[in-house]
Amino acid sequence: MNDIHLKNVSKHFGSLKALNDITFTIPKSSVTVLLGPSGCGKTTMMRIIAGLEEPTSGQVFFDDLEATNVPTRRRNIGMVFQYPVIYKGTSVRRNLELPLLSEKLSKDEITKRVDEVAELLGITEHLKAQVDELDNGTRQKIAVGREVARQPRIILFDEPITNIDITAKLELKRSLKELFSRLKQTIIYVTHDQTEAMTLADQIALMKDGSIMQCDSPSEIYKNPKSEFAGWFLGNPGMNFVVDKFINVKGNDIGSALFSQSIPLGAKAAQVKTLGVRAEGISVSNSQTPGSVSARILSKSLGTGGQYLLNLAYGDLTVKARVPHYIGRQLENNVWTTVANENVMFFDDAGNAV
Amino acid sequence: MSELAFKVSGLSKSYGSKVVLDDLSFSVNINDFSVIWGKPGNGKSVLVRSIMGLERIDAGEVIVRGEDVTNKNAGSRNIGYIPQSFALFPHYSVRENIEYPLNLIKASDADKEKAVNRVAELLRIEDLLHKKPTELSGGQKQRIAIARGLVITTDVYLLDDPLVGLDFKLRERLIDDLRRTQEELKVAFIYVTSDPLEALSLAKTVLVLSKGKIVQQGSLTDVYDNPQTVQSMSALGFPEPNFVPGKISNGTFTSDIFSAQVNAPDGISDAIAGIRPEGIVIGENAKAITLEATVALVENLGSENVIYLKVKDRMLVTVISRTDEENLKIVEEAKIKISILPHAIQLFRADSEVKIGEGKRHE
Repeated sequence: MNDIHLKNVSKHFGSLKALNDITFTIPKSSVTVLLGPSGCGKTTMMRIIAGLEEPTSGQVFFDDLEATNVPTRRRNIGMVFQYPVIYKGTSVRRNLELPLLSEKLSKDEITKRVDEVAELLGITEHLKAQVDELDNGTRQKIAVGREVARQPRIILFDEPITNIDITAKLELKRSLKELFSRLKQTIIYVTHDQTEAMTLADQIALMKDGSIMQCDSPSEIYKNPKSEFAGWFLGNPGMNFVVDKFINVKGNDIGSALFSQSIPLGAKAAQVKTLGVRAEGISVSNSQTPGSVSARILSKSLGTGGQYLLNLAYGDLTVKARVPHYIGRQLENNVWTTVANENVMFFDDAGNAV
Repeated sequence: MSELAFKVSGLSKSYGSKVVLDDLSFSVNINDFSVIWGKPGNGKSVLVRSIMGLERIDAGEVIVRGEDVTNKNAGSRNIGYIPQSFALFPHYSVRENIEYPLNLIKASDADKEKAVNRVAELLRIEDLLHKKPTELSGGQKQRIAIARGLVITTDVYLLDDPLVGLDFKLRERLIDDLRRTQEELKVAFIYVTSDPLEALSLAKTVLVLSKGKIVQQGSLTDVYDNPQTVQSMSALGFPEPNFVPGKISNGTFTSDIFSAQVNAPDGISDAIAGIRPEGIVIGENAKAITLEATVALVENLGSENVIYLKVKDRMLVTVISRTDEENLKIVEEAKIKISILPHAIQLFRADSEVKIGEGKRHE
């Protein structure tokens, strides 16, 4: 079921085009992450959904009803910002129940909602505490809890983890993920952090220069990026690209220094300008195996979980490969590598997947 | 044959009774990328200022290419400097910003042009030279600032945490740029940071700074595989290694969540077991120490998952591949068996943080 629908939405600030003709649907009861580098338009898009910003052109629908000109306070939206919004000098319980007091709810209902949300976020033990005594991560949980307790139709999160110190970050992330899976609420979450996006999202809308490049589940967008940009942005390191001058297209077959045999691609081969291979898609060995080609290690570094990241050269072509620690430590100078056909992506002139 | 580029010996600095640099010594070679890693509050910025001549030291010497520069002022030490936060002049062009340090040493116009073109090519910013800083993105500005530090021709450059606060993807690009630049120039880069992932990605040589001293120096692989202190293990670890307190008696390390046979001296009541994430594997293992754990959080990095595990009240972390279908079934709140590989255990004293032994491999 659709909850929010944007139709041909553009937003210009003077000559700057922050959003470019966006048509996009946000499904109900799921977590949609708007992901992209700074300046991609993700925050503007969230502000338009919230009603904090009016689109230059286009329409916003909530459940098929046009909401383009409906003011924020009538959109029934909850918002959580980068810095926790809390009411100082009062207790945690008071912070959570304040917005509920203006709604016509019974005392029992208010207590019930506050208790429930405190339990969901694991802050029950702090309910009587003064908010001033708490660390930033717990304060952000309170800000989240206050919005959840109101039970709005959507909750918007604008980089809620970015400014939380490293020790509290993990707990906040864990707690948000648990909250999202138990609430089944429509969530829109803005971040530039790919790991946060991949960890929390049901679907990621990857944005660049005011457009949505791709919207898919985290594993789909990682496995099947529809553009070079998506291949590069998700993953650390981003995807390797083998450009035009290092590939040779012969009829329907595509060859490169990375493989011993060219890959049959059918009629689409003619459009291919760039190949993409993820660092973990290249297998590296000390000894020659069937179908392997020789490469030279330019340099080695380490990464997540002790994996070795190798800078490999095939003549003038250089790529990165990632191998487990115990394999990487034995590799020096000349090695043999293979790339399975299914680990190769193909992109056209415009950087779109073929 | 490695040629010595830079050396400090016996560097000491105190503020009142607070010792910030404690008889600190190290040396680095030409054509090496040395990363000095230290947690905040261990003397990094005072060390940087002392090397640059911006801080009066209590004792010790700073030697550049065999020449004692301890008593020279900052401008005449001939060390390239790339600071943590750099203010670009907003009304100067990019070219004028980059050549600014050359004006201070009164270089000729021809020399300036040559030097700027050289670093612009290195950092791939040729097409930005005529622009103003206000027209640039954050990453481009950072490149300009790095270029301004590199424009002085010398063979020792000090980089003071230049990537702090940048977006993840931007950092990835600049890390590649810095590595390539060092390799092309074949000079000594001394890079100071508190970020383990930067140390892992950049260093050929690692120096671990703890409480005002260098507690370990070695190649990246050597320090990773043989950390001599708790700080050394933290320095090169992403995610952060697991540290579990316990005690050692009768050849056994005992903690609240596991015990292990160890090669370490007996009778230590305050020991710490350090285990890297890859030292913990999923499932039962006859040659390892198997524990019950509850999955607290699964972080998706694309090709691997970082899994946070709760064992009693303690949080452990491991990394598993996403290419294994079985691994994708591990989700939050699942109760699973995990195994600590005994030979992956490093043992330290809690007070001195110095290594005292390791786990015994199960035969």
